[in-house]
Amino acid sequence: MPDVDPMVWRLQFTGSLLIIGLLIEAICLFSAKPIAFVLFVAIGGLFLFAGVTVYLFSIVSTPRS
Amino acid sequence: MPLGTTLIVILVLFSAALIGVLVARPAVTATRGGKILAFLVLFFLPILCGAMGISSEMERSKTTAFCLSCHTMEAYGKSLYVDDPSHIPAAHFQNHRVPADEACYTCHTDYAMFGTLKVKLDGLRHVYIYYLGTPPAPENIKLYEPYNNRECLHCHLGARSFEEGATHTADPATLRAIKSNSLSCLSSGCHDVVHDISHLKEAKFWKEKN
Repeated sequence: MPDVDPMVWRLQFTGSLLIIGLLIEAICLFSAKPIAFVLFVAIGGLFLFAGVTVYLFSIVSTPRS
Repeated sequence: MPLGTTLIVILVLFSAALIGVLVARPAVTATRGGKILAFLVLFFLPILCGAMGISSEMERSKTTAFCLSCHTMEAYGKSLYVDDPSHIPAAHFQNHRVPADEACYTCHTDYAMFGTLKVKLDGLRHVYIYYLGTPPAPENIKLYEPYNNRECLHCHLGARSFEEGATHTADPATLRAIKSNSLSCLSSGCHDVVHDISHLKEAKFWKEKN
């Protein structure tokens, strides 16, 4: 099995979290119900926060090549 | 859906597509330009989307339709159409003394510092009770705290009808008491017909002409 560059793996993981978060937010924006507001902030926001945090962590923790 | 919200949805989907390109082709980030692009796409755009989305959702949460979308609030929405000028919410709504599309929020927000945040947190409590708790019957719903005159005075303070009204000026102490919230506008027996939902069946309703 070929070694995967940790930075590449982190980027893909970050990207996946952000895509999930953004899709949840896009779906919530279609609805005007209070539950959509809660899901937008709690679930969508959580994925976005996690994605951005992992990305920032990955760029500061990966050694320069 | 409002145009602003549509544009935000387009931005969100565009951002997701760009992130998808980076996930599928991470080699793009090997160059200096690719790293800058990755920073914009993985940091700047998601934060921009989140901030714009929250702003849009906050504005939408002020609308009358948003508040009345819960089944429990139906009777309260109906009470806005009672054809009787002594019904304070109905008279305000029908005569556009409050913006009709933000009627609930205009009267039930808190015009103090951090008031909007406070009422949004109260709103979250409503959602929690609605979905995970036992919502009370509409006629048993009570305010968390007595209605503060501050919310009325936000618009009426300084208005001639308020400052020079015969009842308000009959006793010099009355106006001072109203302004200091020691004499309630609503529960003192003066303007006490609010959302009288227990008598909705007998009420006559106004029909809005389109």
